[in-house]
Amino acid sequence: MSDTVKIYIDDKAYDVPAGMNLVDAAKMAGNDIPVFCYHPKMEPVGMCRMCLVEMGSIQKDRASGEVLLDDKGNPQIRWFPKLQTACTTNVSDGLVIRTNTPQVDQARENVVEFLLTSHPLDCPICDKGGECPLQNLTMEHGPGSSRMVYSDKLKLDKHVPLGDLIFLDEERCIQCARCIRFQDEIAGDDVLAFHERGRSLQIITNSDPGFDSYFSGNTADICPVGALTTADFRFGARPWELTEVPSICPHDAAGSNISLSMRLDRDHGGRAIIKRVMPRQNENVNEIWISDKTRFGHHFTRDEHSRLLCPLVRRGGNFNETEWKTALEYAANELQLAGGSVAAIAGSGMSNEDLWELRQLVTGLGGERLGAWPPTHAGADLVAQVGVGQGTNLGDLGKGDAVLIVASDLEEEVPIWRLRIKQAHDRGALVVVMNGRPTRMDDFASTVIHYDYSKAAGAFDLLQKEHGDTARQLTGAKNLVVIAGAEGVDLAGSRALMQAAANFLIESGHVGKPNNGLMATFPGANGMGQYYLGFTPEATQDIIANPPKVLFIAQADLLFDDPAAVSWLKQVETIIQLTLFAEEPVPGVTAALPIQSFAERDGSFVNGERRVQRFYTAQGPIGQALPAWQVLNRLGVQLGLGRSKLSASILMNEIAQSIPAFAGITYKALAHVEPQFPLVGGDDVYYGGTAYRNKGGLGVQIPAAADNGGAVTKGKVEKPAAIKASGGQLLVVPATRLYNRERVFRSSELVHPRVPDAYVAMNAADARKLGIENGDMVSISAGGSTLKVRAHVNGAAPQGAVILPRHLSDTPAPLAITAGEVSKA
Amino acid sequence: MSIHDKKYAERIAAQFAKYPTKRSAVMPLLYIAQEEYGWISPEAIQEVAELCNMDSTQVKSIAGFYTMYSEKPKGKYWLQVCTDLPCALRGADEFYEELKAYLEVEDGGTSRDGLFTVEHVMCLAACDKAPMLQCNFHFMENLDMDKMKAFIEEKRAEAKKHEE
Amino acid sequence: MNVLRGFATTFKHILEEPVTIQYPEQSIEFQERYKGRHELHRYENGLEKCIGCALCAAACPADAIWVEAAENTDEVRFSPGERYAKTYEINMMRCIYCGYCEDACPTEAIVLGHEHRLSFTSRSEAIFTKDVLLVEAPEGTQATPQRVRPGTFDRSIPDMEDPL
Repeated sequence: MSDTVKIYIDDKAYDVPAGMNLVDAAKMAGNDIPVFCYHPKMEPVGMCRMCLVEMGSIQKDRASGEVLLDDKGNPQIRWFPKLQTACTTNVSDGLVIRTNTPQVDQARENVVEFLLTSHPLDCPICDKGGECPLQNLTMEHGPGSSRMVYSDKLKLDKHVPLGDLIFLDEERCIQCARCIRFQDEIAGDDVLAFHERGRSLQIITNSDPGFDSYFSGNTADICPVGALTTADFRFGARPWELTEVPSICPHDAAGSNISLSMRLDRDHGGRAIIKRVMPRQNENVNEIWISDKTRFGHHFTRDEHSRLLCPLVRRGGNFNETEWKTALEYAANELQLAGGSVAAIAGSGMSNEDLWELRQLVTGLGGERLGAWPPTHAGADLVAQVGVGQGTNLGDLGKGDAVLIVASDLEEEVPIWRLRIKQAHDRGALVVVMNGRPTRMDDFASTVIHYDYSKAAGAFDLLQKEHGDTARQLTGAKNLVVIAGAEGVDLAGSRALMQAAANFLIESGHVGKPNNGLMATFPGANGMGQYYLGFTPEATQDIIANPPKVLFIAQADLLFDDPAAVSWLKQVETIIQLTLFAEEPVPGVTAALPIQSFAERDGSFVNGERRVQRFYTAQGPIGQALPAWQVLNRLGVQLGLGRSKLSASILMNEIAQSIPAFAGITYKALAHVEPQFPLVGGDDVYYGGTAYRNKGGLGVQIPAAADNGGAVTKGKVEKPAAIKASGGQLLVVPATRLYNRERVFRSSELVHPRVPDAYVAMNAADARKLGIENGDMVSISAGGSTLKVRAHVNGAAPQGAVILPRHLSDTPAPLAITAGEVSKA
Repeated sequence: MSIHDKKYAERIAAQFAKYPTKRSAVMPLLYIAQEEYGWISPEAIQEVAELCNMDSTQVKSIAGFYTMYSEKPKGKYWLQVCTDLPCALRGADEFYEELKAYLEVEDGGTSRDGLFTVEHVMCLAACDKAPMLQCNFHFMENLDMDKMKAFIEEKRAEAKKHEE
Repeated sequence: MNVLRGFATTFKHILEEPVTIQYPEQSIEFQERYKGRHELHRYENGLEKCIGCALCAAACPADAIWVEAAENTDEVRFSPGERYAKTYEINMMRCIYCGYCEDACPTEAIVLGHEHRLSFTSRSEAIFTKDVLLVEAPEGTQATPQRVRPGTFDRSIPDMEDPL
């Protein structure tokens, strides 16, 4: 904090940062000015009038600048004749406010009474009841009794669906516009607005589908009344009945900090289940926001119908349920027979501890190859080298800084990063988006560069050669963050692209400092953890090329991801699968072992900014599922490879000892918290919303090699041959959709209406040539699979390429860009 | 029906030329849409939103806020009778009642032939020429029922002729 | 002398009627305020008064009450308004009959009645579920869930003659 100014609150002097909002400043000084419409993350609007205070300023002599004194020697104060709204005031030197006078008390009481004139007072059935700013502030400042006649209150619709996920209760809304402003200022999805005026004023959405935003759940958090409720939690429980367990979002590379609200449930056999997922404040990671996938994508943790409940082994032709003991003995036996030809493919949902035990087991048996799944995005080693510096906070990026997003549809891949970079753009940061097609991020970009998909790996050459001005703007920026995806490139192309990105950063000196460096949209929650523990996509490629005798497939849905998997898996003699889900085990699998989801055990993930963050046990296991590390550890013990280990924290200690990047990291260090601003949670629901205060730890960021003055050198960019479509073929570009039919998301039925039917986006010119019209069923043959999907003929695809979203139909889309045939089905 | 019709192209272009951003032209475009559809229909909102590069929610919000835009279908002639105090003193109330009776409609209703929608509004700033009304945003002043009946029948005849 | 005074007391009471009664053949009359076993009451049209707000559970000093709520629809309606108790259980071994639940209830759904003859032979039997606690639907009305005309019961406290 640079300059401070002296202000006086209730006759006490405080030094506060200059220009700070008065409500925030008073909050820091320990004086709570009640607010409804003001929110520390948004611009003030002064709509609710709850923050009225007496305000004045100390008079100074204009000529000398000296403080004028009255007869008694006290500074002269010129008071405003009427009460002023604190939220629309920024602090300046000599500002004096009073918050404890009868006038202020009266004003607060009157504002509360006014807000309650037509309030339905249905707190007993309101989801917000118990954590409601209106309820709390009414108790604190309200008149205590009502002069309003209950039957005279307006009767409005109490059940207005704003889309599928959020419901509006028109009677409860106090028209503070927090939700509207959130969507506009923070999310950038301008899909909420006021309609009509005066007493008829209501929140509406007119988008198709309604409330079309990936961040809609946050509006329910910051709603100061119970007007907005989520479909997931509606009448789920009362807030005071919930137990909060800190956790980490298992869906994407952002590693959003979340809080799982747990309660026992009769419908689930009296076990604790996740009633709702709430954001947990971590200003460096997700602030107090989470995406709707994070919020509504948790149902797989309790879905007994889709989860694997007990170990299965194949004996003869039969696949039978069995005891753990038998299953482990059986698997150990198979492993002994393999004679060292053992390899593993681990999904990106595996925690660091799981990956460590898997690595110990495979290497202990003489295997070497540890594959990361999905093998689509290379270059994690480069993120470890020149990744964003320690202490990076995307929320700090602003004027003079730059962000380059390349080969990624950021909104669909890591929505929280998209939300935070949108805000950086609003603060004046230069945002450059490079991709082969238009994406949502274009709306928040200063410059958009479209390249030909066949040259995607050489995007940086194009930037430097043909967009020299933009390249210079980027290199000349104060801070530069590059976010690289892997859309439109294969694994070799992805490596070339990542290397070029790293070189670009090294060349311009944007490495080894906070808010500078490389980030990557690795799929899943633990893409960086895979790298640090030795699991690479290159090894996966090698495993595919030369299958081992025994293969571990851990938390990876190979068949749903890769059309080629069916054929190459046939060459593996024995497959031991660690899986969450029961349906469709890999054909030929020898043993399928049930493992626990993130909610059932302790563990840690490394997010895309290399922040190690831990999650805690929230619920009991489903069926006989065990944590993956425990399964692997028991197998190891069975094989005489080590001692039995009792907890995940012990494993973290082992990791810290063996892997330099994790040096010094313990569960205790990961659980460390520091006060953050703004203050949210606790009794401050009226101020920051119902996001939770962080009690589970802020995580520890692994230093990049370039941090602390470490030397890094540019690497050679080995560009693979361009992927070209010839003779009537088109480039088939697999793309990511946030809402899809992946197994971890399939149990979240309330989001199903938002999952698009399988489709392919085509350019109008290509469609015309092939005689395809918008809405036709087309068949796409590429990368060894044939998909039948609906054609969307629009501007979403460039000429010569079709965009095929992954994970929307049961037939997998190709893993990487490839040439393919498209024809009318 | 669409404001993408050629006949509006010039006017829309002229509106866009007036303002620094497309978004600023939303209100004039809504007027054009209302002219085309007779009211601000959902299609009108979509079209204006696309033209101004806004989310349709924001367009709907604007259409809802201002009373000059009607979000309900209206007759071809939208008669807004001022019944504020100065007009009432000059007989606007009786005039309005008679008008409604003549057209056989309630306040805000549309006549059976679909031609006339009547409603009462706040001051239109023509108190000296009361009773007065605004017909599709054009003032008709110093009215009495004879004048009104003549006007209505004239328009009815026009419409009939047009049909033939 | 003292002995005589003592016997005087004894003889005086010999003539009084006995206080003990022959339970269970005989039973005393309860005061209206007597706090016996809980009952979940209904409105006169058969809808449940309980709206599943769980304030009884929050007020309960013995943590004996367990409530899980769910949403009503007009096709499947248990109680007026949006919310009803899907699960309602009282652990009678924990209950101390203090009546705080009755005080906390915003709809006077839970009432401590006069039933005092409780017995159970296992722990799970001591957990009284909603179907045990809920009183019979009044004669001529349908038990819940009911199918109702849309919009009739959109408030948690319905406009009934005698809502309580």
